[in-house]
Amino acid sequence: MADAPDLLSGGEPEGTTHIHERQELVGRDVRTEEMVFNMGPQHPATHGVLRVAVKTDGEYVRALQPHVGNIHRCVEKIGESVPYYQWVPYLDRMDYLAAMCNEHVGCMAIEQLGEIEVPERAEYIRIIVVELQRILSHLMAIGVYGLDLGAFTPFLHQFRERERGMDLLDHLSGGRLLYHYIRIGGVKRDVSRDWLDELEAFLADVEKRMPEYNTLLLHNHVFQERTFHVGIIDRDTAVRWGVTGPALRAAGVDWDCRRDAPYSIYDRFDFEVPHGVSDIGGEVGDCYQRHWIRVREVEESLKIIRQALAGLPEGPVMGRVPKGFKPKPGEVYVRGENPRGELACYMVSVGKSDKAWRARCRGPSFSNIACITEVSEGLLIGDLVSLIGSLDIVLGEVDR
Amino acid sequence: MSDVPETGLSDLRGAGLPESEFILDPELQESVILSTVQWVKDWGRRNALWPMAFGLACCAMEMMATAATKYDLDRFGAGVFRASPRQSDLMIVAGTLSHKMAPRLRRLWEQMPDPKYVIAMGACVIGGGPYSKFGYHVVQGVDLIVPVDVYLPGCPPRPEALIDGIRKLQLRIEKRSGESLQTILDKSKGVGAA
Amino acid sequence: MAETVDTPDTPPSDPQTERALEVVRSALPEAVVASELSGRHPWIQVRVEDLRAACRLLRDEPTLQMDCCHLISGVDWPEAAEIEVVYHLCSYSLKPPAAYGRRAEKNDPWIALKVRVPRDQAEVPTVMDIWTGADWHERETWDLVGVRFTGRRELRRVLLPDDWPGHPLRKDWEFPASYHGVPIIPPEGL
Repeated sequence: MADAPDLLSGGEPEGTTHIHERQELVGRDVRTEEMVFNMGPQHPATHGVLRVAVKTDGEYVRALQPHVGNIHRCVEKIGESVPYYQWVPYLDRMDYLAAMCNEHVGCMAIEQLGEIEVPERAEYIRIIVVELQRILSHLMAIGVYGLDLGAFTPFLHQFRERERGMDLLDHLSGGRLLYHYIRIGGVKRDVSRDWLDELEAFLADVEKRMPEYNTLLLHNHVFQERTFHVGIIDRDTAVRWGVTGPALRAAGVDWDCRRDAPYSIYDRFDFEVPHGVSDIGGEVGDCYQRHWIRVREVEESLKIIRQALAGLPEGPVMGRVPKGFKPKPGEVYVRGENPRGELACYMVSVGKSDKAWRARCRGPSFSNIACITEVSEGLLIGDLVSLIGSLDIVLGEVDR
Repeated sequence: MSDVPETGLSDLRGAGLPESEFILDPELQESVILSTVQWVKDWGRRNALWPMAFGLACCAMEMMATAATKYDLDRFGAGVFRASPRQSDLMIVAGTLSHKMAPRLRRLWEQMPDPKYVIAMGACVIGGGPYSKFGYHVVQGVDLIVPVDVYLPGCPPRPEALIDGIRKLQLRIEKRSGESLQTILDKSKGVGAA
Repeated sequence: MAETVDTPDTPPSDPQTERALEVVRSALPEAVVASELSGRHPWIQVRVEDLRAACRLLRDEPTLQMDCCHLISGVDWPEAAEIEVVYHLCSYSLKPPAAYGRRAEKNDPWIALKVRVPRDQAEVPTVMDIWTGADWHERETWDLVGVRFTGRRELRRVLLPDDWPGHPLRKDWEFPASYHGVPIIPPEGL
């Protein structure tokens, strides 16, 4: 015992480094090892079954490769194998958080192919349910993003509004999550006066509660620390990779299909398109701005629904669709603004058949998730979760 | 070691009290239930199921809704969703199972400690659902990969259906131990009466 | 080739596609094989060997600025023994011309570019270096339709497992009996 250096008495044995010298050593000499590991496909922060192979150096991401296809459900093959009207419910299941929006774009494509007119009232009802769906989808995205960053409360709170909205769509279509409400030629059922009253009450509540959710996340200092200047997708990267939706707008691109390439009757409504600017906090294209865009889009959707409710005309809700619907030979390409980005449908018909020759879909999440290979370099692993969460991907749509 | 004092138990043994008098003591009868260890273990298991959050597709959203505010799965003791298979004993397979995912599902199931239970949630994992006919990449039933305890039909099943499924699973676990709580209580009383 | 003159009898032609056709024709006189300028889905078909040059032109042309490859799709035509690869391009830098917006035929300023390759030797040069986002779309087209994109880094399947038999969206593709021991029931079996 007597031979051991007395560490507690204050006497320094030879060769001891002072604390500031040690810090220099850490910076200069210590090297961490590179390691490759898999995040997912069963991981709570990958929003489903995304597998990300990450090459790390210590806690930093050096390279990354997303692997998708774990729920590839052959929607395009099914589109070639079943009649048009049977394909519509499969579109619901692509992006299961925005089923109405998918149906809308798919039905528009088929209607253009078959030159089917949609009655005015049906168009208005479509806009109402699609924007309602957008609110629900964004609420979910906002809540789940909090969950990803470690805040459980916003998730539980937003489900209060989400459940109410899902009940509304449930009353209309009979399904809570997947509806098959928008059909080729119109919508399945007309809306009742009671339903519209309920909807208005719901909109008022969402408007009242959004500031509450914003105090939980958007204006929360911890949340801001996790998202400011993290995972920046700049304008050039976003456009090159084909990133669309809130992620594109957060990158500073002032583009929204609903306004700039208006489909359905969106040109009749007056709404703003929020896009990333530097004075709201953070940086253009970072995770915070993507979250902010979603919050703003909920407010804009409220505006659109109120205008549609004010202008809702009377009339039939289903157009004339020929029995045994067989469109003429031709092709269409229709894109629409979904909560996650631009969904596009490319359909080819060869005529004399009730099945499409080719039914191709562009899932917005597919392009959005591809770009993380480039933007994730140099991020902390914790911030990678923040980046993936802020893109708000739905794997059903990535894999289709 | 030799100078450790005698425990109270050895005192009782020394007193030579007959066992029957122990059981017939009326105060003990009020506070002690006689049962098998198996039943107590199963009682704990069924009232504290720890599901693994195994969300694959659409049904996962309904699973989340079940765990969230309105339906609150915690009321049934099954709300502690774990991210790791090693911490959970119930796998709710919610969504479509593809051929690419099947080996991983099997592996996660093998990582779960025994005893483990599987709920097949939704039409897709029961038999391929809407994708059974032309979906070349969809496994036509999760029971081809792992054994299933409870099947929940629906596309997707509503949260009430999932709660019902979990209740069914709890009854199944209870049935496995052979006796319900009431039978055990009756038996315990019966011993006292004799 | 479709008639490009705008007469009262013919439907109006799409301004974006018309401009694109002019640009490609003036720089590469031989490139355009066929085109369709009116209707809901106007398109331009170019030769495979001119595809990359045409794509570059459309991207760099200041009046078009097609800076995003929106979608790449493969369409199988077994009767012609050809596979058609369709590129849908769009621009996020330019606002659409005012003429768009309320057009009945096509109110969306995208351009469709087509190439056709023989079915048994489906090889198309990559456009991944022109639009990075084309990467995954090309991988998906290889995966499902079996079009081999040349000149790019490794072309792996993206959705299906690496050892999956064949390309499911070819019209003559047959359902395998099983995959790694898990049975696949063919459509006729149900």
